[in-house]
Amino acid sequence: MRKLIVLTVLIGLVFSLGTSVLAAEEVNLYTNRHYDTDEEILDRFTEETGIEVNVLKGDSDQLIERIAREGENTPADLLITADAGRLHRAKTRGILQSVKTETLTQNVPVNLKDQDNYWYGLTMRGRVIVYAKDRVDPSDLAGYADLTSDQWQDEILVRSSANIYNQSLLASLVSIYGEKWAEEWAAGIVDNMARKPQGNDRAQATAVAAGEGDLAIINTYYLGKMINSDNPAEVEVAKSLGIHFPEGKYGTHVNVSGAGVTKYAPNKKNAVKLLEYLSSASAQKYFASANYEYPVNPDVEASELLQSWGDFKAQGINLTELGVHNEAAVKIFNRVGWQ
Amino acid sequence: MQLLKKIKQGSPGWFLLTAGIILLLLIPNLNIIINLFGKAGENWEHVRDYLLINYFQNSLILVLASGLLAAFLGAGLAWIIAAYDFPGRNFLSWGLILPLAIPPYIGAYVYQGMFSYTGPLQTFLRNDFQLQLSQQYFDFMNIRGAIFIYTIFLFPYVFLMTKAFLSRQSASLLESSRLLGKNDSTIFFKIILPLSRGAVVAGSSLVMMEVLNDYGVVKYFGISTFTTAIFKTWFGMGDLATAVRLAVMAMLVIFVLLFLEKLLRGGRKYSYSTSNIRPLSRRKLKGSKKVLAQFFCYGVFFFGFLLPTIQLLYWSFLSRGGELLGTLNFALTSFLTGGGAAVLILTGAVIVATTARMSSSFISNLLARITILGYSIPGAVIAVGVLLFMLQLDQIFLFLQTGFGIEINLVLSSTLVMLIFAYAVRFMGIAFNSVNSGYQKIGESYFEASRTLGKGVTETFFKIDLPMLKPALMSGFLLIFIEIMKELPLTMILRPFNFDTLATKAFEYASDEMIYRAADLSLVLIFFSTAAIYLITHHRRRKNNAVEN
Repeated sequence: MRKLIVLTVLIGLVFSLGTSVLAAEEVNLYTNRHYDTDEEILDRFTEETGIEVNVLKGDSDQLIERIAREGENTPADLLITADAGRLHRAKTRGILQSVKTETLTQNVPVNLKDQDNYWYGLTMRGRVIVYAKDRVDPSDLAGYADLTSDQWQDEILVRSSANIYNQSLLASLVSIYGEKWAEEWAAGIVDNMARKPQGNDRAQATAVAAGEGDLAIINTYYLGKMINSDNPAEVEVAKSLGIHFPEGKYGTHVNVSGAGVTKYAPNKKNAVKLLEYLSSASAQKYFASANYEYPVNPDVEASELLQSWGDFKAQGINLTELGVHNEAAVKIFNRVGWQ
Repeated sequence: MQLLKKIKQGSPGWFLLTAGIILLLLIPNLNIIINLFGKAGENWEHVRDYLLINYFQNSLILVLASGLLAAFLGAGLAWIIAAYDFPGRNFLSWGLILPLAIPPYIGAYVYQGMFSYTGPLQTFLRNDFQLQLSQQYFDFMNIRGAIFIYTIFLFPYVFLMTKAFLSRQSASLLESSRLLGKNDSTIFFKIILPLSRGAVVAGSSLVMMEVLNDYGVVKYFGISTFTTAIFKTWFGMGDLATAVRLAVMAMLVIFVLLFLEKLLRGGRKYSYSTSNIRPLSRRKLKGSKKVLAQFFCYGVFFFGFLLPTIQLLYWSFLSRGGELLGTLNFALTSFLTGGGAAVLILTGAVIVATTARMSSSFISNLLARITILGYSIPGAVIAVGVLLFMLQLDQIFLFLQTGFGIEINLVLSSTLVMLIFAYAVRFMGIAFNSVNSGYQKIGESYFEASRTLGKGVTETFFKIDLPMLKPALMSGFLLIFIEIMKELPLTMILRPFNFDTLATKAFEYASDEMIYRAADLSLVLIFFSTAAIYLITHHRRRKNNAVEN
């Protein structure tokens, strides 16, 4: 028994010392991304710079909570997470710091980063409307606002409001049209839903193919994933769907996954280097295409598949707005009963 | 009397160790509960006005329905296995525990995948029979689907406890009733069910706690429950105070249910124990009854284990089993972490249980309650409690270092120590119960004899108790090992850098809808858990046979 206790203490010591001894050039990355291609990109970064990258993967919200709790002692240098609303939340929780370099200003367009430079978008996706090609005439579609019209009674499929993508979509509408309009819009969508929200975006797309409704609101990359699925039935589903990019005055709601340097980053210099590297032309292509997303760097072309969907006009608002109006959006969802 | 007191008296060393362990278990929980006494979070009113009723209803339905169904399924199967003999019984007596090897969230992904529009069932109907049925017949992602998942993958808790009880305790009563000419269904409802009520309730309350704290299934199915609400308010709104309030309410639901059960039971005491322990003599089934029993047992085995495993194998085949090498790597991490943590947790549990045994029944009851605390609180809540505690410790180390120039250079947060400690907080209750039931089987006479002969507590423990505890330790170890292999929320929140287990990796792929990739990992996970279950049951069986012969 005593031997065991001694052993326990020893193991503990070894592990904890292990982390503090590794003081060579390194950067600690907290990320919600888990694509196999990311490892290659990070390996290349290590090769080019000699900086080791330690990765801690987790759910976005929980990573933010963890950094906040770790406070000044956080080992995290760089946080990568999906959705501008979340990045804004990280900023307001006081866990990020403002970083401005020439490279970053050049690589990331101004509306896809925080207005105070606390975070930068790295990959972009649109939240679009997909329709059943065999039942819907695309010329009948007219953006988000039109989804509440009687024409789409019981035809709309969309996931739960607990999901940040829906929160950010509604936040963008709050920002553009005001809270009252957004609440009426959300209530109209609830009226037109083909079924109670269930499953994720992919489940909505599948439900359209299965005939449960004519339209679904989903992120673009889900379609990319389905087209490249290992399951032939899923590929078939994806082929039966058309994409509608909302146009008009305000365009398609876009969002990013992005990164920010943490406030107490122990390796700030390396963190900035990594951030610059991820926004650079050479990394952007792979970083974006891993998840079938659009690169933010204007010098880099989107993958062939994404180009085949055609160009679209993005909502002009600064993505910081999505965070600012997130709370209002969540409360609207709860009030109108969007589960 | 004096002598007896002296014999039972523990040594201060054991007592101090126990006090230390209990304190360590309590601090993270207190770190969280203390939030309850502060002001309500800013979102509390909004949550209460618009969401609470919905959370409450959904959680209550899920917990009650899964708990009840698992109780009936588990108790019924336990009865069939314990009281009857038919071909396949030997296999089923451990095969029916195997659904426990499949984490419910993986089960949920598999079943949804099978029934969905793009899944094998509908594709088959569509392509080979040109049959397109309304989607509502295949709708799986709702409360009913979740209840099915919880019941079919968690009922073994009830099965295990009831079977152990029946095969040990009920022989003479059962034989008397059979002699008195009662038929089997009368015996089951009038004798067996009331008699084994304690075991069934104990198993079913484990099921209910698992259901209440589950996050994976309800998140995937889009059902709002207390757990999703806790995640939503805490991680979504950054409002810990409201989240803790919800967590405590969720715990209250369980306590109220257990209290109601006790109330219904009233003063009646069903527990029945006899020193005359002998195994139940099983009756051979023939004809239609045999077929029926086989059909039922194999049916449950099919849906709870075989079908999901086959589906995973098929998916693994579709993805061309690409990542075997990487999978082995994650398996090694899971294996070492689970094994190492299980040893440590069990060591702690042995210390506490040994002290409990030497203490008054009040103290030992109290110890049992405290150790199970971590199991009844949602994993995510414990995670943050542990994180706060480790950060506080780091502060103290830092203070010692700068203040007194002591060179300790110790950082606990973000290391494996933190994660393993969190496992200990969560699973200490299971370990304690295993050790404790081992002690109950041994009885106290050997211990007292050794003490009377003048041996110390510690010497008695190592020379007498520990060797006799071995079977209990073995099954305790494997139970915790399985739990840690499947564990998600703690590992997701507290893991150190560059650390992936089978469970986290499978969940990442699955939640990314790359269920085909998740298949390889899930299969390895299921394989390990199955092996562990096989070892537990066959170890026990050898021992039982020795008794029987």
